[in-house]
Amino acid sequence: MTRYIVRRFLQSLPLLFIISLVLFLLMQNMGDPLATMGGRTPTRSADRERLARQLGLDKPVFLQYIYWLIGNDWTKVDLDGDGVAETQGIRRGALRGDFGTSLVAREPVLKVILDRIPNTLILMITAEVIVIIGALLLGVYSAMRPYTLLDNIITTFAFIGYSMPIFFIALGTMYIFAVNFRRWGLPYLPTVGMFEPQVGKTMSQVMWHMVLPIITIAVTSFSAYSRYIRSTMLETLNQDYIRTARAKGLPKRQVVFIHALKNASLPIVTVIGLDLPFLISGALVTETIFAWPGMGRLFIYHVSRGDTPVVMGIMMMIALAVVIFQILTDITYAWLDPRIRYQ
Amino acid sequence: MRKLQFVFCIFIIFALVLSACSSGESGGASTGDKKVATLIFTQEPDTLNPLYSNMYFSLILHQVWNVWAWQYDDQNNPYPVLLTELPSVENGGISADGMQMTLNLRDDVVWSDGEKMTSADFAFTYDMYMEPKNTVSTTYPYDQVSSIETPDELTVIVNFSTPFAPWLQLFHGILPEHELGPVFESDGTLDNAEWNKAPSASIGPFKFESWESGSFLRFVKNDQYFGDKARIDEIFVRIVPDDAAQVAALQAGDGDLGIFISYPDIPTLEEADVNILTVQSGYNEGWFISLAEQSHDAVKDVRVRQALIYAVDRAKISKDLLLDKTQPGASLWDNSPYVDSSLKPYPFDLEKAKSLLDEAGWVDSNGDGTRDKDGVELVLRYGTTTKEVRQNTQAIIQQMLAEVGVGTTLLNYDSDIFFASYGDQGPSYTGELDIMQWSDVPTAFPDPDIAYWLCSEIPSDETPQGLNAQYICDEELDALFQQQASQVDINERIATFQKITKIMYDQVYWASIWQDPDIWAVGKRLADVTISGSTPFYSIGSWDVK
Repeated sequence: MTRYIVRRFLQSLPLLFIISLVLFLLMQNMGDPLATMGGRTPTRSADRERLARQLGLDKPVFLQYIYWLIGNDWTKVDLDGDGVAETQGIRRGALRGDFGTSLVAREPVLKVILDRIPNTLILMITAEVIVIIGALLLGVYSAMRPYTLLDNIITTFAFIGYSMPIFFIALGTMYIFAVNFRRWGLPYLPTVGMFEPQVGKTMSQVMWHMVLPIITIAVTSFSAYSRYIRSTMLETLNQDYIRTARAKGLPKRQVVFIHALKNASLPIVTVIGLDLPFLISGALVTETIFAWPGMGRLFIYHVSRGDTPVVMGIMMMIALAVVIFQILTDITYAWLDPRIRYQ
Repeated sequence: MRKLQFVFCIFIIFALVLSACSSGESGGASTGDKKVATLIFTQEPDTLNPLYSNMYFSLILHQVWNVWAWQYDDQNNPYPVLLTELPSVENGGISADGMQMTLNLRDDVVWSDGEKMTSADFAFTYDMYMEPKNTVSTTYPYDQVSSIETPDELTVIVNFSTPFAPWLQLFHGILPEHELGPVFESDGTLDNAEWNKAPSASIGPFKFESWESGSFLRFVKNDQYFGDKARIDEIFVRIVPDDAAQVAALQAGDGDLGIFISYPDIPTLEEADVNILTVQSGYNEGWFISLAEQSHDAVKDVRVRQALIYAVDRAKISKDLLLDKTQPGASLWDNSPYVDSSLKPYPFDLEKAKSLLDEAGWVDSNGDGTRDKDGVELVLRYGTTTKEVRQNTQAIIQQMLAEVGVGTTLLNYDSDIFFASYGDQGPSYTGELDIMQWSDVPTAFPDPDIAYWLCSEIPSDETPQGLNAQYICDEELDALFQQQASQVDINERIATFQKITKIMYDQVYWASIWQDPDIWAVGKRLADVTISGSTPFYSIGSWDVK
């Protein structure tokens, strides 16, 4: 297994390199970062030229990529525009842990990202745990009582939840529970933010502000997961070995949760394994509407400003997470199904 | 039954938790003895250092913590802040030839860390703007200054290389030499200074306290402030990127002030007792008509350009789409001292539009409903950003132009793509569009200077960063724009701008669709709020919380 893991990591290195190259090339078509630097008026042409030179944006794309990858501290750059490269470069490159400086926030990319990751993980992990537990309970319950009234009700609500746009759920719940409840004199939830600035970042504040974003995420994710679990469980419950287990007189709970669920979990683990890395990327719409200071908001804002260093940093972090979680998923397969062996 | 009891208990617990947590006001309020106000920004400031951002939300915060040498009141009139008086030719502050300006600083200005503000801070600010190792957002207008002298602690002499009329654009934010000088000495640049996001010395009615990335910025009353002490104790600037969420937060009282309220949201906010302030900031939503080589031949004829503007009922657009909160303008300098009030917006006149198009030879010869000439259909490429109100306007204007037989192809782009330079193949600067629509303002309103009408700004392979997206090179206009930049006498400058305005009006080089004021929403708890179009928070020290 150890050899397998090491081999998978080594195989992922060229993959990450190719991903970084493709993303960097794609970013060149994502707009002009200098276009919005003038504020509400267009950036002056003289400033565009100077900034392009100082930020290295006037260099050919392949050279910009090399600087991003391995840095420019091995060469000199022309900062004053006299045509003579006289200043030693200071960038160390992504391979040495320097993802550059944000063109917008003027801070190191890692700092910009690390400021936001904990906020996103708090929201997304909580939401994921609630969604998985809830979907498992509902999915298993539905599978055990297929085509009953309750199963039909769950199915109906699952489809309604799945088909509603997330922004609609977010704004709808915000207006009902935060705006109208307050107007009607009922107990209400906060509209936006991760906590009240005046109170501070306490656990109760964060939990309180998380309620509406989590409901929003859960409504859509619940539906997909519970339907998936229901169908895999239904298939498993009709297998011969389940019938055998029942015939042997095993308790129902043991049959369902030990024999059926464990075997039905393989495809579910695949889906969750694919989803987990994207917890880091946050919930773009939910974070934006509820002003949750997470990675989704960070990503969309910096994409809109053409901030290549930050966008590259986020995308590479997600790519790395996908690789790691895929390996973890494979390991989980082996644990769930002893027949699976990795050589 | 037991299940029902369980569900009921959960519901009761949830209701109790809700009640416990939702007590108290969360927006602006008197918290204990403290008066606290919460402002909502839809974008997070890039940085607080004036060197590194021209972003609107960074700039408007200056009046909170880092006042300018001079600011503007709610009538957009300049007044001295860090100076004893505004320099002028009359008081000897500006030399008769316009080459030198002397600033006399107040002697009671102290940074929040107790250090006195001196002329060295002004000189340091200039040096940092011009330092090649600092990737400042713009060197303008400091690149018009040839040198700065500081004969004593309270006198700053600014020497210009040529007479420089827009000098009011200087010193929008002063840097503390005693704090940032050592940082520059050790790092060789201020690009990575911690001060940029956490300034430890402030010079406004409030001082910076903390910044929670993506959430809020906190400012507290500056007891060292040289002017009247602020009446509010703390200001929170909360970042709410979604417009609809901003409206919800204002309705719910989770914020006391919001900006860039869209017109359809105004009635909703007014119903919630939120005051709406319409503030003229010099912006004008208008058409920039491209005369590039590849532009449609029709728009190169002034009669067609005039016909286009006669055919659009701009007053109706203002009334129906913008709730009558604004009106069409006549020039880019409306609501500034440089406006030519004798010029009125072109009226809506379909017959005049039709006759002008006929006169220009554009007639519907093939009966398809669209005019044509020499086999070329009169279909114009009309582009703008993806902003909702602009897309709605495009759709309305498309119908209006169709009434006179002018077809349009509507195009929309994200802002960074729409405004991307010629070098980056942006649609505006490469002449791909015949009509471009956006909202614009003189570079440092209310100063009237605008650079992008100069012939030298026309984009090309040699000047890929050129800003003249209209590809208009009118020699008379060009000469007048160059002349005004060195006219220190305000009356002479006004006369020049009236000539500029007349040419642009007659030639329809640019046409206003509506004057584009900033719409502010002020919650019922905030009192004594006045807002300037140029320096919105100029009076924030006098605001109060009820």
